[in-house]
Amino acid sequence: MKTPDLGRVDAHEKVTGTASYGADRVPDDLAYAMFAVATIGKGRTVSIDTAAAEAVPGVRLVLTRFDEDELRGPGFLMGGGFAFQSLQPLLSDVVAYRGQPIALIVADTLVAATEAADLVRARYEIEPFAVGIDDEGATSVLQEEALPWFPDVKVGDAETAYAASPVQIDETYLHPAQHQVPMELISSVVQWKGDRLVVHESTQNAGALRHGVAAQLNLDPADVDVISPYIGGGFGSRNALQPHIGPLALAARRLRRPVKLVIPRRQTFHTGSFRPVSRHRIRLGADPSGRLLAALHDADHQTSRHDLYPAMYTEITSRLYAVPNFGGRQRLVQTDVQTPGFMRAPNEGPASFAFESAVDVLAYATGQDPVELRLANDTATDPVTGLPFSSRHLAQCLTRGAERFGWQKRDPRPGSMRAADGSLVGLGVAVGAHPVLVAPAVARMSAGADGRVTVGVDGHEMGQGIRSAIALLVAQDLGVPVQDVVVRVGDTRVAPQHLTAGAWGTATALPAVHKALRELRKRLGAGDTGTVEVAAAVRATGHGSPEVEVTSVGPGQPPEMLDRSRAGLFSAAGPVFPDFTAFSWAAHFVEVRIEATTRRIRVPRALCVADCGRVASPVTAASQVRGGVIWGISEALRESSEVDPRFGGFLNTTLEEYPVAVNADIAEIDFDFIDEPDLLLSEVGVKGLGELTMIGVAAAVANAVFHATGQRQNRLPIRIEDVM
Amino acid sequence: MRSFAYVVPDSVAGAVDALAAAEPGTKILAGGTTLYDLMKLGVEAPPAVIDIHRLAELTEISTGEGELSFGAGAKMAEVADHPVVRRDYPALSESLWRAASQQLRNMATVGGNLLQRTRCGYFRGGAEFGCNKRDPGSGCAALEGLDRTHALLGASDACIATYPGDWAVALIAFDAELDVVGPRGERTLPLGDLHVEPGDNPVLEHTLAADELILRIRVPATPAGRGSTYHKIRDRESYAFALTSAAAAVTLDAQGTVTDCRIGLGGVATRPWRATAAERSLLGEQLTMGTARHAGEVAFADARPVRTGAFRVELGIRTVTDALLTAGKQAAR
Ligand SMILES: Cc1cc2nc3c(=O)[nH]c(=O)nc-3n(C[C@H](O)[C@H](O)[C@H](O)COP(=O)(O)OP(=O)(O)OC[C@H]3O[C@@H](n4cnc5c(N)ncnc54)[C@H](O)[C@@H]3O)c2cc1C
Ligand code: SF4
Repeated sequence: MKTPDLGRVDAHEKVTGTASYGADRVPDDLAYAMFAVATIGKGRTVSIDTAAAEAVPGVRLVLTRFDEDELRGPGFLMGGGFAFQSLQPLLSDVVAYRGQPIALIVADTLVAATEAADLVRARYEIEPFAVGIDDEGATSVLQEEALPWFPDVKVGDAETAYAASPVQIDETYLHPAQHQVPMELISSVVQWKGDRLVVHESTQNAGALRHGVAAQLNLDPADVDVISPYIGGGFGSRNALQPHIGPLALAARRLRRPVKLVIPRRQTFHTGSFRPVSRHRIRLGADPSGRLLAALHDADHQTSRHDLYPAMYTEITSRLYAVPNFGGRQRLVQTDVQTPGFMRAPNEGPASFAFESAVDVLAYATGQDPVELRLANDTATDPVTGLPFSSRHLAQCLTRGAERFGWQKRDPRPGSMRAADGSLVGLGVAVGAHPVLVAPAVARMSAGADGRVTVGVDGHEMGQGIRSAIALLVAQDLGVPVQDVVVRVGDTRVAPQHLTAGAWGTATALPAVHKALRELRKRLGAGDTGTVEVAAAVRATGHGSPEVEVTSVGPGQPPEMLDRSRAGLFSAAGPVFPDFTAFSWAAHFVEVRIEATTRRIRVPRALCVADCGRVASPVTAASQVRGGVIWGISEALRESSEVDPRFGGFLNTTLEEYPVAVNADIAEIDFDFIDEPDLLLSEVGVKGLGELTMIGVAAAVANAVFHATGQRQNRLPIRIEDVM
Repeated sequence: MRSFAYVVPDSVAGAVDALAAAEPGTKILAGGTTLYDLMKLGVEAPPAVIDIHRLAELTEISTGEGELSFGAGAKMAEVADHPVVRRDYPALSESLWRAASQQLRNMATVGGNLLQRTRCGYFRGGAEFGCNKRDPGSGCAALEGLDRTHALLGASDACIATYPGDWAVALIAFDAELDVVGPRGERTLPLGDLHVEPGDNPVLEHTLAADELILRIRVPATPAGRGSTYHKIRDRESYAFALTSAAAAVTLDAQGTVTDCRIGLGGVATRPWRATAAERSLLGEQLTMGTARHAGEVAFADARPVRTGAFRVELGIRTVTDALLTAGKQAAR
């Protein structure tokens, strides 16, 4: 059954401004915090002079150092902890990177806190540092040695098969550092209610915040509530505990006042994670018809000195095609930055840019049409595990897309197509894949005598539309109006609130909600299907408002995963499940036009055809595609976090200088969904969509630029000077 | 943010008095889109600001015989959208439309716009970066740094910061003049005399005295206005400063010969740049791809490429070429 199109359930709140985001709260007696940050690339603080800051009228606290007993390290998210990095500022004199907080100021007003922060003066001992992956002093480790639990993908004997291949492609690609820059700044309001700590913060991972701050402050996690009903854009920047929360909670406790911190835009470039620099050498071996015999993917991936943020590029590049021999080798390059992390399509974006660009080179080297070459290398089984894919409609994405896009009108010769105004025209294609991960979830559902159904479940509303998808599922199942469904997400008071990311949010929440619906129906004495008169059924039970609670885990996940999730730890599983491997798939088609003289590159149209399983909410799914494609265009043509190696840190730290795509950069974005439920995965049949829609866009753009100009683009972003 | 005095005069005369009486370093505040920004960054720290943005006297726009006149306090958006400006001086209108964002243009004034300051990342980035403009004698971090958008023309060893504005580039092509007022009365100066090159003192950016206020901008009427355009090339399609830009205006006689030509360059020089030699190269010529390109080459003949932005020399030449050809089409309309 297709899902009807009912819009966003929270649209009204959002457009009228009544939706309350993390730091929108202004409790009585609120105090305001601000960080002073390090202005050197690396070293130690010898002394920090806070006298001038303390003298600012209205300043209540200036804190430069916490005790290890009152504030413990939070642990790194990917190393069994809770935070985006293990390093907790304000615990020692170490300055690991430019922009690291060195003092926390709390004052009666934001103005006083800001002024005081500017007056903090530190003396430093400066140490040599390296920010670029090729800079002197950057050190590297092989991931499979340093992090054996994140092994490289290896199938067959790729080196030998490559060496023996009649056609060999060997290309190296560079992806820049990029920042998530969501509209909503990283911010929180923390408040003690007796011994209970309440944290209002827009986060994708309320569970980790609860447990992380509890561990840091030695609290019982049950005494911490984290409330995050809406998020003004996360894109990975809000997926873990941030190092400001512990210090903020301690300051609030000392002052006995609620404290708010909104980190200014400039500081957010250093206080949170970012997409690391990565370099990809791709070698493809093929027969003269373009059939792949071997692929080798060597990646250098930036991380910090204090954490090894793992690379997982080869997870998708080994599965795009029927490659019998695959060799992955990922190196982690340690540099003096805050720990990088997940930014929308963290691994898949850069990996697909590199791999799908190389596949285009192969198509030209073998004289094959890029769509046909991809179809000829399709596979129904996972080449890595030999398991079947739970569903893979990638060929359909390609053929449907080619038809819809008018691919057959493309003249394959580079530089051969021109628009009426003399612009060079290029058409490019690329595919993308995103692993399907599913996390355990808890859902609580109750029905009231007023006919309303309330559901609380694991999941966070980041604008992707999870609230709408849940409300729609409940409304459709029970036959009640969607406005009678109240959805509570992002709230540790109703569910553990495991991390929502990696596009698994909907695929995780919906099966739990589905299960809760079955239980609720039983409690209401209703049949397994059909419309339920909720108000009447509730009255008939004789209870005020019957409530059910259910749990769900991903396919083949042991129930213990729920305990991990309840402890705030990462517990998503996939994409390899006991009986199948699960990915969502997409084909992207892009047209670029390059001005004949001043060489501005424009994208008049883009098409995405996605296989994301069942489409859970058509309106929000469509918006996910638009958002993803815009992100892909921005990744390909605009965004780069600039580093001056003499100073460290990032230099273009405002929305004016960090060039995200603007409306005027975006033209037509067309899309189509295969909309086939993946019933091996769950009864609901939903795979992921949010990240998928940008994966492959950058390669499609780069391939289109090649088609327009004959010049290969192996480095992002592609700017005017690259096509002059 | 430091505390500062905030003065709201109720007339231009009152503003002049307040400025004359004020502590050194006091600044006029118009739309605040440059000044407040730089105050928040700690680059500017005036002890007082004198807010003129509500003075109706300063917002008048007139397009009568002989000249256009824009009160210094008129908003960028109003001037950009003025029907006469759009029809008769497209380059002026376009230079404003292609600047900043709608929100900023609604707030910012055409007077304040002239005195906006460079976007050099080291100038704005904080005290830890050497910058002779912000902190004289501290060196110039851009010389060996991220200089992709720095100046190709008019730079010195002390500073290579680009003048970022668009409006002044279009104005300079039309021989605009400024009326300014101070305790010594009013005076008029050509816009071309307002901005100065950095030389060995990059702190000094313009020739206005500390106690002077811009009253209005006047543009002598010229038929070249109709045959004009402002062409701006940037890293994205909107909300970005120019990598290269050109204001071009031409008058053609019945045979298509160029009888008047104006070229202003933006995004490439330390001040709004008039390319007079390039203009001369076209006089008496037919406007063709070849002569337009030649004019572009003349305009950039003295360019000194920066390390990572050398492509902007060729891009600038092409920008001038395209701008001239568009201006020629406008002139022939
Ligand atoms: C994000 C961003 C993007 C931008 N993009 C562009 C762009 O693409 N192109 C472009 O051209 N500009 C751009 N700008 C700059 C913008 O156009 C200027 O900030 C604006 O025009 C300044 O006008 P204002 O009235 O706000 O000046 P203010 O900030 O109030 O003043 C600026 C300066 O002028 C002085 N001043 C103001 N009025 C007078 C007067 N009457 N007499 C004497 N001195 C005066 C002030 O003392 C101050 O030094 C951008 C700005 C921002 C913040
Ligand atoms: S170019 Fe000028 S403004 Fe920029 S750092 Fe050098 S001196 Fe400062």
